[in-house]
Amino acid sequence: MTNNFQNIDQLIQEKGFTKKSLIPILQAIQKEYNYLPEDVLRYVAEKTSITASDIIGVASFYSQFRLQPVGEHMVKVCVGTACHVKGAVQVYDAFRRELKLPEGVNTEESGKYTLEKVSCLGCCTLAPVVQIDNITYGHVATDQVGQIITDFESNKGNKNPKKARKADGSEIKGEIRIGLGSCCVASGSEEIREEVESVVNESGLRVHLKHVGCVGMCHQVPLVEVVPNEGEPTLYAKVKPEDVKNIVESHFEAPGFFTKTKNKLLHLVEDIQTDRNWDGIERYEISMREKPVASFLGKQIPIATEYRGMINPLDINEYKKRGGFTALKKVIESMSPDEVIREVKDSGIRGRGGAGFPTGIKWELVKKQKNDTKYLICNGDEGDPGAFMDRMLLESYPYRVIEGILIAAFAAEISHGYLYIRAEYPLAVKRIREALKICKENNLLGGNILGTDFGFELMIYEGAGAFVCGEESALMASIEGKRGFPRIRPPFPAESGLWGYPTLVNNTETFAQISYILREGSEKFKNIGEGKSTGTKVFALAGKVARGGLIEVPMGISIKQVIEEIGGGIANGRKFKAVQIGGPSGGCIPAEHADTPINYESLSEMGAMMGSGGLVVLDDTDCMVDIARYFLSFTQEESCGKCTFCRVGTKRMLDILDNITKGKGKQGDIEDLEKLAEWTKKGSLCGLGKTAPNPVLSTLKYFRDEYEAHINGVCPTGKCTELITYSVNDNCIGCTKCVQKCPVDAIPFTPHEKHSIDTELCIKCDSCRAACPVDAIDVK
Amino acid sequence: MITVKINNTEIQVEEGTSVMKAAQKMGIDIPNLCWHDELEHFTSCMLCLVKDKKNGKLFPSCSVKATEGLEIITDDAEIKEARQTALELLLSEHTGDCEAPCQIACPAHMNIPLMNRLIATGKFDESLEVVKQDIALPAVLGRICPAPCEGACHRKTVDDPVSICLLKRFVGEDGNSPQIIPAEQIGKKVAVLGAGPAGLAAAYYLQLKGIQVTLFDKNEKAGGLLRTEINDEILPKNILDKEIETILNTGVDFQGGKEINITEFESMKKDFDALVLATGTVSENSEKYDLKASPKGILVDKDSYQASDEKVFAIGNVLRSSRLAVRSVGQGKEVAFSVMQYLNGQEPKGEPRMFNSRFGKLVANEFAEYLKESVNEKRTFPEKGGRSGFSSEEAIEEAKRCLHCDCRAIDDCKLRTYSDKYQADQKRFKTSERRSITKKMNHGSVVYEPQKCIKCGICVRLTEKYTEKFGFTYIGRGFDVEIGVPFNEELEQGLTATAEKVANACPTGAISMREI
Repeated sequence: MTNNFQNIDQLIQEKGFTKKSLIPILQAIQKEYNYLPEDVLRYVAEKTSITASDIIGVASFYSQFRLQPVGEHMVKVCVGTACHVKGAVQVYDAFRRELKLPEGVNTEESGKYTLEKVSCLGCCTLAPVVQIDNITYGHVATDQVGQIITDFESNKGNKNPKKARKADGSEIKGEIRIGLGSCCVASGSEEIREEVESVVNESGLRVHLKHVGCVGMCHQVPLVEVVPNEGEPTLYAKVKPEDVKNIVESHFEAPGFFTKTKNKLLHLVEDIQTDRNWDGIERYEISMREKPVASFLGKQIPIATEYRGMINPLDINEYKKRGGFTALKKVIESMSPDEVIREVKDSGIRGRGGAGFPTGIKWELVKKQKNDTKYLICNGDEGDPGAFMDRMLLESYPYRVIEGILIAAFAAEISHGYLYIRAEYPLAVKRIREALKICKENNLLGGNILGTDFGFELMIYEGAGAFVCGEESALMASIEGKRGFPRIRPPFPAESGLWGYPTLVNNTETFAQISYILREGSEKFKNIGEGKSTGTKVFALAGKVARGGLIEVPMGISIKQVIEEIGGGIANGRKFKAVQIGGPSGGCIPAEHADTPINYESLSEMGAMMGSGGLVVLDDTDCMVDIARYFLSFTQEESCGKCTFCRVGTKRMLDILDNITKGKGKQGDIEDLEKLAEWTKKGSLCGLGKTAPNPVLSTLKYFRDEYEAHINGVCPTGKCTELITYSVNDNCIGCTKCVQKCPVDAIPFTPHEKHSIDTELCIKCDSCRAACPVDAIDVK
Repeated sequence: MITVKINNTEIQVEEGTSVMKAAQKMGIDIPNLCWHDELEHFTSCMLCLVKDKKNGKLFPSCSVKATEGLEIITDDAEIKEARQTALELLLSEHTGDCEAPCQIACPAHMNIPLMNRLIATGKFDESLEVVKQDIALPAVLGRICPAPCEGACHRKTVDDPVSICLLKRFVGEDGNSPQIIPAEQIGKKVAVLGAGPAGLAAAYYLQLKGIQVTLFDKNEKAGGLLRTEINDEILPKNILDKEIETILNTGVDFQGGKEINITEFESMKKDFDALVLATGTVSENSEKYDLKASPKGILVDKDSYQASDEKVFAIGNVLRSSRLAVRSVGQGKEVAFSVMQYLNGQEPKGEPRMFNSRFGKLVANEFAEYLKESVNEKRTFPEKGGRSGFSSEEAIEEAKRCLHCDCRAIDDCKLRTYSDKYQADQKRFKTSERRSITKKMNHGSVVYEPQKCIKCGICVRLTEKYTEKFGFTYIGRGFDVEIGVPFNEELEQGLTATAEKVANACPTGAISMREI
C-alpha cells in the first residue's frame, strides 16, 4: 500500500511529523478524500511519530472529521438557536423524508447526498438555513425542500466565469458597495457582485466596485449601496440579481449600451436565477436616512466594528487611512509595555469571551513571567450556536484584530502567536490568511516591526469543530494536537499554557477593541458603559425580533432598548416572552425583567451570562422547556466526556428533559432535574459543564409553570410535537392548500368542504398550518 | 515543606504534593477511580472532591497541589453527597452485573457461577467446596429446592436457564466433601435448638467458626421437616443421613430426643454464650420464650436475626412459615456471622453483603455476546429421568451452559467498593435505555467488556506510556465516547506487553484477567 501514498508523504513533509501537526494533517487528508480513509491514517501512523491511538482519538473527537465516506454533496441543516426557534428540526425531518433516509442512515441510497445537522452556519438572520455544498438557502420552509434540491441540481454545474474588471480609473462616477459578510454571501451577494461586475463591465461604466464587510444589517441582506459622486447615497436591501441592472441604470448613465446578444444572455441567466420560488422575499428600496435602518445603526457605538460597511476588509491602505495601526505605531514607538498595560487596565476592559476577566491584569500576569518562550492565542473558536461576532470581526476587520494582537504581544513581551479560528469559518480563515500576508509585506508582522526591535510571528490554527475548545485549556490541548480535553486550572495559562509555556489567551472581540483604547485613550473607552463593565459589546441579535443582525452596544444598555430600539420589537406582532443571552452557557431572562442592564454582573445575577454574546429573542410561541432542552442537547453533544458530572450529568439531565417534552415526565422529575443541575454545576471540571445547567436553571426559575404543565401532559405553546395534535377548525374554507402540502396524505382531498386531519398519519410537520390562508389549523 | 490543615489537623508535606496524597499521608481515604500512581493526574472521575474550607468550594484533590495555609475538609455531608452523586452517575452508565443474578436470587447467595465453572472443568470436589461455603445441605436441596436461582438466570430470558439445582445436587452427591478443618476453638458455647435445615446449617457454620455447638432436637434423629415431610422417592433417607453426618462430623454435639421446655431454655441462657432458635413453626413460640413477636412469628432484626433478647437469635420457620428450605439453610449460614459478631462484642449485622451492580434482563442480541464464553446448547436433562440426577458427563455439559454473568473483578473493583461505602443507588439516574452489552474476548489473557467502562482513561494512558503500537484510545467524545483499540484492531493487538498491567489498573471489571 505504501506505494500509493506519495501525496501523503508530501503532505506529512509539509505539515510535520509530530503530534502537533496531527490536526492540520487530518484536515489536509479530509480535503483530499472528503473523509479520513483508514489506510491513509494507518500510513500516517507508520510514517510519523504520531501513534494510532492519537490519530483515532483526535479524529473521532472533532466533529469536522469523518471516518466514513459521505455522499457527493453535503446537505447541512443549520440547527443553531435562531434556526431552531424558527423550525429547523422540521426542516431537517423534511429533508430526511425528501431524501428517503431510513433511521440511522444519513447518506442517500444513491450516494449523492449526505444530510447532517450543523450547529451554526452563522446566518442567523436568514433562519432557518440550509447549505448544500457552498450554496446557502435561507428562510427555508418544510414544503420547499424538494424545490431546493431541484434548484441545487440545476445550479451545481454552473461554474461562474471569472470576469475581469477594467483597470481604467478614469471617469469614475461613484462607488457601488457590496456587502460581503457571511450573511450577505449566504444570501447571494456573490451572485449580486458578479451581476454588478457584469453590468458595469458590459456597460463600460466608470465606477468603483467596493466590497465591504458586514454592515450589521443582516436581516436585509444582500445589500448594495450606491454612492454617486453627487447626490445622496442609496442603500438597496434584499437585492436580487435581476434587480442589479435596474439599480445601476437608475443611478448611472452608461456610455454605450448592451448589445442584443449580451442582453439575451443576461436574461437567460436571470431566468435560471429567478426560478426560485423558495426565495419568496421581496426586493425593496430603502434609504440610510429612513427611520428603521437609521435607528438600527444609530443606538450603537461601533468600536470593534468601527467604520462598518465603509471599509474593504482587506484594503490595508483604507484601514490605515481611517486611523488603523496608529495605535500600534504609538505603542511600539513611544510607550513601554508597562505603560500599555496600565492604559488597558485603566480602560476597565474585561474579556469579551464571556467570563469577564480584566484584560490588563491578564496581560500583566503574562508579562511578569520571565520566560524566553511565551505564546499568545487569539481565541476565535466561537462555538455558540447562535452567535457569530468573532467570525464577523475576523472577516470584516482582520487588521483591527491583528493590531490588537500586536499591541498585546508588545505589552506582554511575546514573540509568537496563534489565531485559533473555528473550522466552520472558511471565509474568516481566508481573509485572515490574506491579511497576515499583507501585514508581512507591510512590515507589520515578522521581525523588526515598523523598524523597531519588536518582532512577532502570527500563525493561523484552524479548529476542527469542538465547542469545548472555546475553553482555553481545551483550546491549547487542541493546538498541541490532542483531544480537546480541558485540564484543571490552576495553573492558569498565564503561568503554564501552550506546551507548558506562559500563554496569553484573549477573545477575538477583546483584541478588536484594543486599538481603540490605545488610540483614543482609556478615559474615552471607560466613559462608555457603566460601572465595572466598560466599553461596548458586540451581540448577535436574532430570533423573533423584527430586525436581526450584529450589533455593538454600550455596556449597560437595557435588554428592552436592544430589542425595541435596535431590533424593532418583536416580529409579526407577537408578544415578547424572554431573551436568551449567552448561548448554551447563558440563560433566559423573562420579559418582566427587560429593564435589566446588559453588563457582566447583572446578567449573572439574572441567571444568564455575557457568555458568547448570542442574544436570541423569544416570543409567546416559544416553549421554554423546549429551549432548555435545545441548549442542553447542544452542550451534552459537545461535552468532551472527560469528567463524570458533565459527561453523564448533562446526559441524564437531557434524558429527563426529553422525557418531559415527550409527555413521559413524571412527578419528581423537576426536582431531580434541579438537583442534577446543581451537581453538574458544582462538580464539573471546566466552564462547559459548570455553565451547561444555566439554560435549565434559568428557565426553571422563571418558567417553572411550563415545566409543570408538561408533566401534566400539556405544552402550553404547542411546540413539543409529542404533546400536541393538529386539527382543523371552522375557519376552513375547503381550499385544499393544506391537502396539497401534507407530505403524508393525512388530510383527505375534500374540496369546498371543511378538511380534516388523520392524527394517526399526521407527523406534525406544520406544513398545513403554514399553508393555510385562513388560520384554520389548530395546534393543541 | 508546606503546612496544610486537613480536617482541622495540620500536616507537613513536600512542595508539589497533591492534596489527595497529603490526605492519604494522614490515613484519610480519598476515593478515586481515575488516579493511577504511575500516571499524571487526569481529573475525570471527580470522586476525590474535597472542600476548601475558606471558600466552601469543592475541588478535585488529585489534581490540586497543596499550598501553604490551605485548609481542607474531606468528608462532610456535601462531599459525601457529591461522591455519592458521582458514583450514581457512573453507575447509570456502568452496564454489568457484579454478582450474577442467580447468586443474588439464591436465598443463601451461593456462588453458583463458580460452582458451574468448576463442574465444567471436571473439578467436582472443588465445586462442592464452593457450594458448601453457603449451603450446608447441597444434595438435599438439590432434590427439593424450587430453585429461585434458575428463575433469575440470564439465560432464561433468551433460552432455558442453566439447570443449577441439579448441578448442585450432582456435586452434593458425587463430590467428595471438603476436608473439614474447623477453626481453632474460641472457647464459646452456643446452643442451637432444632435440627431442621436452619438449625443444621447454623450448627455447621458456627462449628466451623470455632464455636462449640450443641444441637438439640425433639426427635431422635436430626433433619426436622426434611425427615418427616418429604417422601423417600424425592429425598431418600440415605442422602439426608449422609449430609447430616457430614455436618455433625464437624464436632457438633447433637442431643436428639430432647424437647426443651421453658425452664430449660432459661437455664440454657446461662449455660451457653448464645442461643439459636430454629425449632420450626410453632404458634406459641414467642410466648413460650418470652420474645417479642410479629404476626407471623418471632420478631428479629432482619439482618442479624437477633431477637428481643440479645442473647437469642432466631431463624427458619420460627420467623414465618415457609416451604423454602434453602431460605432456612441460608439463614443458618448468616446467623453464624451474627452470633460470631455478638460473641466478639461487635454489633451483630449478619453476613456482610456488598453493593451489586445489576443491569436487568438479558436481551437476544446480547445473548450472542455472552455465548462467546459459553455454549449454544439446549438445556440438558438427565437421561434416566428427572429424579435420577446428572451423570458426570451430563453435569459437565450442562455446567458449560453457564454464561459467566458474574464479574471477574468482583473482589477487586473500586467502583463497587465505593458504591458500597457511599450507599449509591444505581437506579437513581435510570432515565433512559441502558447500553447494549458486548464482550471482547479475542485475547489470550484479558477480557474487555466496554459497557462496564467508566472512561477513566487509565488504560489509554498506560498503553501510551508503555508505547504499545496500537494500545487503547478514546473513540468519539462526550457521553458516547468508547474506549477501544484504534482501527478496530483486535484486543490482542491493542494490549500486548501491558495486558496484565492494564487489567490490574482498571478500576472496574471492564478489563480483567481471564481465569486461569
